[in-house]
Amino acid sequence: MRALLGDYLFPLMVILALCGGFSAVMLNSRNKACIGVAFGAAAAFSACGIMVAIEVLVEGPLMLSLPITSVIGQLSFGFNIVVDQLSAFFLLVICTLALPVSIYSVGYVKEYEGHYGLGRFGLLFNLFLLSMVLVVTAGNIIVFLIAWELMSLCSYFLVTFESRDTEKASAGLLYLVMTHIGSALIMLALLLLAFQANSFEFSDLKNIGLFMGVDVRSIAFILLLLGFGTKAGIVPLHVWLPKAHPAAPSNISALMSGVMIKTAIYMLIRTYFDFLGINGPGDAWLGLLFLLIASISALIGVLYALVEKDIKRILAFSSIENVGIILIAFGAAMVFKAYGLNELAALALIATLLHVFFHSLFKGLLFLGAGSILHATGTRNLEKLGGLSHRMKVTSVLFFVGVLSIVAIPPFNGFVSEWLIFQSLLLSFSLNDVLVNLLVATALGMLALTGALAATCFVRFYGMAFLARPRSREAAEAKEVPRSMLLGMAVLAALCLLTGLLSTYIIPTVDQVTAPLVGTSIAGRLAGGLVLQTPVSSFSSMSPILISIVLLVALPSIYLIATRYGGRRSERVGDTWDCGTPLSERNEYTPTGFTQPLKRVFNGFYHSKTSTSIETGSDPYLRKLSFETSIPEVFEDYLYRPIAKIVTGLARKGGVIQTGSIQAYLAYIFVILLILLVIFR
Amino acid sequence: MINGLAALVLLCAFVAVSSSRMPALVRTFAIQSLALGMLAASVAYFTGSPQIYVVAGLTIALKAILIPRMLAYIMKRIKVEKEVDPFLNIPSSLLVSGGLAVLAYYITEPLIVHGGELTRNALALSLAVVFIGFFIMISRRKAITQVVGLLIMENGLFMAAISVTYGMPLIVELGIFFDVLVAVIILGVFAFRINNTFDSLDTSFLRRLKD
Repeated sequence: MRALLGDYLFPLMVILALCGGFSAVMLNSRNKACIGVAFGAAAAFSACGIMVAIEVLVEGPLMLSLPITSVIGQLSFGFNIVVDQLSAFFLLVICTLALPVSIYSVGYVKEYEGHYGLGRFGLLFNLFLLSMVLVVTAGNIIVFLIAWELMSLCSYFLVTFESRDTEKASAGLLYLVMTHIGSALIMLALLLLAFQANSFEFSDLKNIGLFMGVDVRSIAFILLLLGFGTKAGIVPLHVWLPKAHPAAPSNISALMSGVMIKTAIYMLIRTYFDFLGINGPGDAWLGLLFLLIASISALIGVLYALVEKDIKRILAFSSIENVGIILIAFGAAMVFKAYGLNELAALALIATLLHVFFHSLFKGLLFLGAGSILHATGTRNLEKLGGLSHRMKVTSVLFFVGVLSIVAIPPFNGFVSEWLIFQSLLLSFSLNDVLVNLLVATALGMLALTGALAATCFVRFYGMAFLARPRSREAAEAKEVPRSMLLGMAVLAALCLLTGLLSTYIIPTVDQVTAPLVGTSIAGRLAGGLVLQTPVSSFSSMSPILISIVLLVALPSIYLIATRYGGRRSERVGDTWDCGTPLSERNEYTPTGFTQPLKRVFNGFYHSKTSTSIETGSDPYLRKLSFETSIPEVFEDYLYRPIAKIVTGLARKGGVIQTGSIQAYLAYIFVILLILLVIFR
Repeated sequence: MINGLAALVLLCAFVAVSSSRMPALVRTFAIQSLALGMLAASVAYFTGSPQIYVVAGLTIALKAILIPRMLAYIMKRIKVEKEVDPFLNIPSSLLVSGGLAVLAYYITEPLIVHGGELTRNALALSLAVVFIGFFIMISRRKAITQVVGLLIMENGLFMAAISVTYGMPLIVELGIFFDVLVAVIILGVFAFRINNTFDSLDTSFLRRLKD
């Protein structure tokens, strides 16, 4: 047995999280100490996690088990932790985001001092991190389900942390309901697998799909899609996401959007590629189903993000979009695997994992940025922001990095992963199936549209929040946030740039993760030194570093050339186009106005309701004009409300037996007792 | 002798169902407990084990004397009305109880065939008592009558235990006695509380506690 550092570090992580959390509770009344202990422990936890992950990626899998065994039926199981390559990758993703978020939280949670218990927050924060780590490292179904449930509950309590806000409480309730529906489906699917394999251990479940009937296997696939899809937020199971993510404190939103929904992606990869396996063209329908759902998800996500006014809801919808993008790549990987094109499958899966990683970085950064805006101005309404770049200089620069990453501008990391996704889809022409080609092409088109709309969305976000003049007093009086918050964001911004630049060095590691899943390694051909290229040689290639060097040289030189040879310009400083009337913030372009053209174009989808009313007063020339626009929540109104109605109706019918009378309850027991006695006499 | 006493216990259960006044109900329970105590004593006599004598003595002391006294005291304290107030009127209650007794025989029939000579019918009788006790709990409104129903059920169980197994270990018996005593005290306290809150011992008022 090799001696690994992880053998000690992993137990240490568990101890750190538990001790950090519970001592935070005990230090509840002493704010400073409480914050220090809670987030210090969380940061140390994340650092250990990164070390364990890197060690596993380099040295090989890690296995731990507690000497506890239990038995369910005839199947016994222990408390087993297995960190293989795939787990290690996700462990790395989680901990890389958790570390800066922990630093950020030191400053961020100060606003809760005196309002809500900091000890409670510290405990939940640590448990949440621990549960996410356990989800991706669980070695058997039981440990996984326990960790999954712990993760759901911790995040629920964090969503409803500001418990005196009824809106947040109801958002939390919706989240709790949706997540448990998902959990139920997951449990069903995993137990289906367990009884096929006659074991709970993940190691025994490998390739179990080969021994399953076609029907059972298909049912398992669908159940897993629905169950994990609920957590990942695919349309139409996404309804909880735009409510719960904004309701949570911003550092938690960053974790939820950045990594929690990714644990569902982890399990999808694990169950689809590792357990059930994609074997032969018979499974292509599944990949196509994913392509379809995912591209719809991506498009709908970004369409809602475009017209949203709440900054955190914009980011939440953007998460739905990005999960869609991730699953497009995942679906493509399945299609390729089904047709035996293992190299392309590897490419698509690498793209999936890279986007998972990169999205966690930039979405984490953006959510932290939104948290800073909220911290500084106290409002999440984009219509009330503006001009923050003058008052929050550092934040605005860091946020800009996040924006550049998410809209896939080279050399930032978002570009690399989206480039790979596009390449893998473009290469599908080597398939000889009309339907497949058609669907992949559709997905490609949707992806391109999504990318463009996302760019619009974030231009709007950044422009409206940071540029121009403040639209309200809150925005005008904003102050830069504390250092620890800036530091947390700076780390993420640096990572966004570095992972983009150095992606050619990251890809071989990711390839090592996907190689056992798709059965082939393509790193040698994919990342040749500085240049990134597709496995089909000479199809296309790209080098983030070269691009950045070119940009670095080109942009200043263009500027220089333009100023040197562009002729003389006389500069005048003054208000623009004010036509003699002094302009105020009320004359500014509004976020709603910015996307109005797009709203018109896509109105077939939005069904927005607008109303204009003119009130005439005593003065015939001065009239009050008001304009209102609202976008109905299509999925809630037409899908969820009818279902909820039916369910509550049934429950009310069933509720008749709950009379509240003791005698009735006794009678139920008595009758059941008599019936049982008579039957089993 | 034992069968006769067991039958007496069942008869008392029937009388309890038919009694329309609370003091009568409690008295019936006391008589039933007395019969039960004597049954235990005769089992002790036939098997010759001294510990069952102790159990018999305790049964009489607790269930035939102490608990009825307590119930009477509670009733006096909260000036409960004397009527039993059943959901189901007394003749039909008796019919149901008769049906339950038949059912008890039906259920225990496969067991009785293998039963010991001494206590042939006792199992069926005690099961019938349990059923009737349960039925009293269901069909009567007042909290006190429910306590009595529970105690009658307990008597049935006790009779089954003593006649089928010729007595459990003494420590278990003592534990059960203690349980019953505590249960009566707690239920008495609850009866006070219910009475204070609703000005009545009628448990159908508790419906209002429903959401």
